[in-house]
Amino acid sequence: MNRIDEFAFAKRQSERKIIFGFLALVVGILLIISGTQIGFVFGIMLIVSAIVIFAMGGTQFSRLNKRFKKEVITSLLEEHVENGYFDPDRGLSPSEVYATEFIKRADRFHSEDYLSGSIGGVKFYSSDVKLEERHVQYTKNGTRTYYVTYFLGRVFIFDFNKSFDGYLYVLEKGRPLRRRKYDKIKLESVEFNKRFKTYSTNEHSAFYVLTPHFMESLLNLEQKNKGYIGFSFIENKLYIGINNFKDTFELKLFRKLDQSVIEEFKRELLVVTDIIEELNLNQNIFKKGE
Amino acid sequence: MDQVISILIVLVVLAVVIGLWYISTMNSLRRLEVKINEADSGIDVALTKRYDVLTKLVNTTKGYAKHEAETFENITKWRSGLPKNLSMEQKQEFMGKMDGVLSGINIAVEAYPELKADRVFQNLQQSISDVEEHLQAARRLYNANVSALNSRIVTFPTSIVANAISMKKKPFFEAEETKREDVEINF
Repeated sequence: MNRIDEFAFAKRQSERKIIFGFLALVVGILLIISGTQIGFVFGIMLIVSAIVIFAMGGTQFSRLNKRFKKEVITSLLEEHVENGYFDPDRGLSPSEVYATEFIKRADRFHSEDYLSGSIGGVKFYSSDVKLEERHVQYTKNGTRTYYVTYFLGRVFIFDFNKSFDGYLYVLEKGRPLRRRKYDKIKLESVEFNKRFKTYSTNEHSAFYVLTPHFMESLLNLEQKNKGYIGFSFIENKLYIGINNFKDTFELKLFRKLDQSVIEEFKRELLVVTDIIEELNLNQNIFKKGE
Repeated sequence: MDQVISILIVLVVLAVVIGLWYISTMNSLRRLEVKINEADSGIDVALTKRYDVLTKLVNTTKGYAKHEAETFENITKWRSGLPKNLSMEQKQEFMGKMDGVLSGINIAVEAYPELKADRVFQNLQQSISDVEEHLQAARRLYNANVSALNSRIVTFPTSIVANAISMKKKPFFEAEETKREDVEINF
């Protein structure tokens, strides 16, 4: 039995527990509503057992998920990334995420699947990020507080290979959140201006960074990644936020675990390589003293 | 009498609206002109920087390829750098000459491998790539502003204001045929 089969076997076991727990819950409810005394007693017993089995299955699946991604991503990192590091239990800090200056502060912040390393000499950090906004609804019976997710996706931080003055933001949606003296910049590409809004505190820097080839690359990246994408260039760092409402590197319940899942993890991981190569971040010819 | 007053009020309102539109259009055209002037000086800065780096590059080349370096020096018309108040055509001509020198140096590099290995020369080549990028950015920024102004000048009704303040279309800073693509320097 190879490693993937072992994981698939363990996954099936946890799924069975979840199914069994669910069925026991349904039967328990039916017994309670049958109206007989014995049915009520057995129903309660069955529901309690169902909850325990359900929780066991869920916990087992969650642990398996973490173990699987740690093992798979660590081996993929060894193959493709220099000094690769992956930690499913931590993510980018709030200050790192808000340093993008285009992702607004959340009432509830969650990040996981921290990835870091270096490809072609370009350092990067990334993680899954989930941001929620608190809403309060006033009803006859009092107030109801609930949270709405407005960002679910990945945030990347790269070393940027050009030194320039000022701040630059290229956003598909929204506008920069920090109060700086920026202007909206119109570049020569009609398609680029249609897709992105560009803001910069220095017009020359915007044209310096956004060469025709670079604009083309940003458009390609936008097309390859679903959802909304934003770029900010701040103090030799390139921040990218992809809000695609997707939780990456996650096993799906009741979905067959085979080589295709590993391939999907690989694709999700190699988005980093894609960005570095597409944007030529590994060409350091512009940096002084390198 | 009431009718006359009404007509007068309408005329005054109309005059005020037209006056305000005229002033705001004139101001926006002037602002664009200022932006063009700023971008123009950005080109000057980039050209000067390019000239400086190119001069250093030629000086470094002297140590290995004396004859070629002297030819390069003769090609550049303005030995003391970029003169002030050059027209756009003159700037283009200046840039064309520098392009010629640069491509000459690139050819010389192939003939003198020691030159290629020179650390100072390598650093200068890196610098010139950066300067080229800045020059391209300055040129594109200038042209984008010129394009915005020129299209406003020829479009009705802005053209009326442009004519009234004698604002003329501005020339573009055209890139040489060889410069239309991003500059690549082989190391």
